[in-house]
Amino acid sequence: MMLELRDISAGYGSDAVLHGIGLGVGAGEIVTLIGANGAGKSTLAKTVSGLLSPLTGEIYFEGKRIDRLTTAARLKLGIAHVPEGRQIFAGMTVAENLALGTPRGADAEQLDWVCDLFPVLRERMESVAGNFSGGQQQMLAIGRGLMSRPRLLILDEPSLGLSPLLVSEIFTLIAGLRARGLSVLLAEQNARAALSIADRAYVIENGRVTLSGAASDLLHSPEIAARYLGVGVATAASADQSAAMAARLRQFAWDGV
Amino acid sequence: MTELIQIVVGGIMQGSIFALLAMGFSLVYRVTGVINLAQGGFCTLGALLGFSMQSRLGLPPALAALGAVLVTSAFAALVGRVTFVPGLSRLTNSNMLMMSAGLLTLFEGLVLVVWGSQPYALPPFSGERPIAVAGLLLPTQGIWVMGVTFVIIVGLWYMLARTRLGQSLRACAENPTAARLVGVDVARMQLFSFVLAGAIGAVAGVVVGPAISLQFDTGRLLTISGFVAVAIGGIASFPGAIAGGLLLGLVGQLATAYVSSLFSNALALGLLLIVLIWRPSGLIRGAAGRRQDVRDEARVWTHVTRLSARTAWIGAFVLLVAGLVLPWVLDAGLLGALIITLILFITLIGLDVLMGYGGQISLGQAGFMAIGGYAAGYFTTAHDWPPVLAILAGIGISLVCAMILAGVTLRLRGLYMALATLAFGLLIDSCAIGFDDITGGPSGLVGIGDFDLFGFAFDTPLRMYYLVLGVVVLVLVAMAGAMRSGFGRALQAIRTDPLAAAALGVNVVGCKMAAFAISAVLASLAGSLYAFQFHFLSPDMVGTPRSLELVSMLVIGGEGTLLGPLLGSALLTVLPTAFQPLALYKTLASGVLLAGCSLYLPQGMFGALTRVLRR
Repeated sequence: MMLELRDISAGYGSDAVLHGIGLGVGAGEIVTLIGANGAGKSTLAKTVSGLLSPLTGEIYFEGKRIDRLTTAARLKLGIAHVPEGRQIFAGMTVAENLALGTPRGADAEQLDWVCDLFPVLRERMESVAGNFSGGQQQMLAIGRGLMSRPRLLILDEPSLGLSPLLVSEIFTLIAGLRARGLSVLLAEQNARAALSIADRAYVIENGRVTLSGAASDLLHSPEIAARYLGVGVATAASADQSAAMAARLRQFAWDGV
Repeated sequence: MTELIQIVVGGIMQGSIFALLAMGFSLVYRVTGVINLAQGGFCTLGALLGFSMQSRLGLPPALAALGAVLVTSAFAALVGRVTFVPGLSRLTNSNMLMMSAGLLTLFEGLVLVVWGSQPYALPPFSGERPIAVAGLLLPTQGIWVMGVTFVIIVGLWYMLARTRLGQSLRACAENPTAARLVGVDVARMQLFSFVLAGAIGAVAGVVVGPAISLQFDTGRLLTISGFVAVAIGGIASFPGAIAGGLLLGLVGQLATAYVSSLFSNALALGLLLIVLIWRPSGLIRGAAGRRQDVRDEARVWTHVTRLSARTAWIGAFVLLVAGLVLPWVLDAGLLGALIITLILFITLIGLDVLMGYGGQISLGQAGFMAIGGYAAGYFTTAHDWPPVLAILAGIGISLVCAMILAGVTLRLRGLYMALATLAFGLLIDSCAIGFDDITGGPSGLVGIGDFDLFGFAFDTPLRMYYLVLGVVVLVLVAMAGAMRSGFGRALQAIRTDPLAAAALGVNVVGCKMAAFAISAVLASLAGSLYAFQFHFLSPDMVGTPRSLELVSMLVIGGEGTLLGPLLGSALLTVLPTAFQPLALYKTLASGVLLAGCSLYLPQGMFGALTRVLRR
């Protein structure tokens, strides 16, 4: 396992939100955390990136224990966190936002790659990021996360507040990252979209892992369907949407991104 | 025409000083969101260090200047590491403001202990003789100030806009969480901004020092000027700080030349008030667009612990008995100090209603004391009014001023409220100096008689003491009742969350106005009593430094409690009298106390006491 969490409890102050979490992310794997609002997904993401210190437990990244390292040190090891709500530097330009994402100084090659991934960023390099739409801000946030050449990308609710079309675009892109050898830990409320691109998934309820397994199994598990996929109220539109995404995914595989 | 140009050039020179001061504020504010009132303290420290290195150690001027800036920066690093940066993660923005006021006092105290209270005239860098250019006379030091300001502006701009370090600093200002995520050490950047602001302050002190008369409390004036400049220009932007400084300098010089030097401050402050009302975030808005209303919400919420009813009654009884007996066992000096303690306590009760219960900040409370004091003095001496009537007149004027001020500032919260009240206090200061027919000007109003009530004169310290004690008890009983009533609860609801309070049907505007009115009335009453106690009143007795001292007393004593402020008042009034030989250390001690209390005892000494008693 590239990332391994052992018996992690974490939270705010002395109140634990996570209780004895154990999970792992393998190299080149997309692992998704699904769960309701408040289940502890974001807390888990923050604990991995170092914004929060765990109360108990250990975190290993590529065999190295990291749970007492600073966020900056973990970033250098190759863990980048794209937080919930995007958290871009709204008053700064796209170029400055991306420059801040490279802790070791300018990296033209990586910048080029990020701009190929999100052409809109190249077009608007000198615009102030705060004027961007939600989708563009999300692309900038992911782009900034990728600038540090991470080996593990933590994405927290990348679909939040985006239109269905944009959601599928972003998820297609995330799936494409795996092809570049990146591992992704994806915390997402939109379970259907997340499961359709993930290799494995963990279901988190009240700060505990209650279920885990291959994403395709969970996608077809009746229990998950009832709780997180809204089956029974599913509309034709959402079925179409996943069909469209599947089609795009196939195309991505062709492009070999 | 030449005259006008001469004045404008003078204004720009003066304005450069303000701009230099303002940039320090802006830097720290942009990175941390906190107004650092200690900024002026760095200037005094830098200037006097430079002077001593030159005169005592015999260093050449340039080396002495460099040494002064380095030592001041090192000191700033120490102070920032121990107080400022830890405070940022623990304190609300308003408590940070208080803590920085404490640091300013601490710096003053330090300067007082090391350099004494005498003024210093520092030698200009290039001689006393002004240079004549095209018929204009330019003081050489003014040219130095402008040059240094220019260099610092360019340097700072380059650093912030073009370097990785500057980008990281701006990232902290914009979004501290995101800054951590991209690997910026936020605490280090915060410390760095504090130290850099200290260094800029020291540079400012070294070059400005020869142009002004320098003494231990000059830092306070410099802080206020810089603060006013940055508030006019817009605190979140460097161009704003520079523009504000230059504008302030120009207005000051033009007013001095064409109106009166006594009113030059008043005009600048009028300008500030207009800007605050018209565009609260200053003339030039920062790109970061920090939302002040959000940032000012308590980051940390501590509720006030209260005494149990039984302890409270016993305590009240003991205090009352002590209050009645004390004057018979104290000597005259201590009795005087005790009277002052109680008079200030009356002001503090009002300030506590506004700040402790209502959650607003007032840095201009002494302004109302001045109104009350001068009204009492003027009407009794010039028009032979009975003292009670004069006091009531003072209260009336204060109420009118308070309502006007409240009316124009009600939409201001937190920082802007603090600024507006500060401007009001400073405005009253300059009126007290400017209207010398009524107030006696800078030398003060003399010959104020004794207070008398229906022919009974309170002409001995003992009588005065019991009068003040009576007033205090009455006010306390009334306030204890009011704070337990719906009004008190409504105020505390507003303090916690104005929006939620409004949603619950609390009349937010009405309650704020009422709290403001109460504080103004009590301050005015206290000011009048103060004038009758001393038979004399001068602007520096009821000026802005007094306002800051009142806030210190409140924070040290304990906000949001009725008796807490008494502790603060007594500590800063009686102790220095009791330990007269140590009076030199009073300022230093009160600075340490204020900074320490805001950091370690956010509920003040009374809060600490309550926790001990409740155990």
